[in-house]
Amino acid sequence: MDIISQLQEQVDTIASLTFNTIGSLQRDAPPVRLSPNYPEPTANPPEDFPEQPKSMSAALVKAAKQFDALVAALPLAEGGEEAQLKRIQELQAENDVVGQELQRQLEAAGKFLMSSHPYCANWKMLLQIDG
Amino acid sequence: MATATYPPPPPYYRLYKDYLDDPKSAPEPPPPIEGTYICFGGNYTTDDVLPNLEEQGVRQLYPKGPVVDFKKELRSLNRELQLHILELADVLVERPSQYARRVEDISLIFKNLHHLLNSLRPHQARATLIHILELQIQRRKQAVEDIKRRRQEAQKLLQEALGTLEGQ
Repeated sequence: MDIISQLQEQVDTIASLTFNTIGSLQRDAPPVRLSPNYPEPTANPPEDFPEQPKSMSAALVKAAKQFDALVAALPLAEGGEEAQLKRIQELQAENDVVGQELQRQLEAAGKFLMSSHPYCANWKMLLQIDG
Repeated sequence: MATATYPPPPPYYRLYKDYLDDPKSAPEPPPPIEGTYICFGGNYTTDDVLPNLEEQGVRQLYPKGPVVDFKKELRSLNRELQLHILELADVLVERPSQYARRVEDISLIFKNLHHLLNSLRPHQARATLIHILELQIQRRKQAVEDIKRRRQEAQKLLQEALGTLEGQ
């Protein structure tokens, strides 16, 4: 997958880790005593509750580091849009020149073929050269 | 519950009755649309650009300007995001009723991140085009070399054949 899509997926991963972390901590945390008038609330945290914040925050930080690594791997070429467009124009010009050269070579080869094999009517038809 | 049959297909097929004999007797295909058009009650535009953030009503967190240093901005937005998440966790412990502002900030950062990544796409498209052109030029040069070489070899073979024939 290309790097920009990977970056986008990494952002979405960070987002889902965030809301999962906050959500499960909110849901599972034992209630807090608000005032001395009320009795101490009953607490029922799930089994692995003490390790949850540590592992979830570790996952979050790891995802953020992964994002930084991906950003570092971005192959952002120098120069802006104009430099790229100029390069495209240069390449197009070179492509045209090479294309014409190729065309000349093909025609020369076709003529050569025709001159040395005058019996080959099927070749003529295949290459569609009058010659 | 009323049911209805499907509408019949449009009657334009009759116009193409003599198309095989006379291709000009039938109507031309419609020209490409330019500008905005309406499709099933919705307005669409043919000019597909990424609307910048202000048009979507989202505050832009990275500095504006012609050239944006993408890597630096992406990294600093990432750091801001982490700090905001930590802030949200703190707020939930101390003043739980004030989560809304923090959540809004976090979603703003996410929107900025995605917008930055989307604005990298045109750059990627141009880079892909450059790569394809380079490959094509390389392949064409290779083909030219091959054809030259083969022609020379064939020429040589013919000369040799002529030489042996004359020698006899």
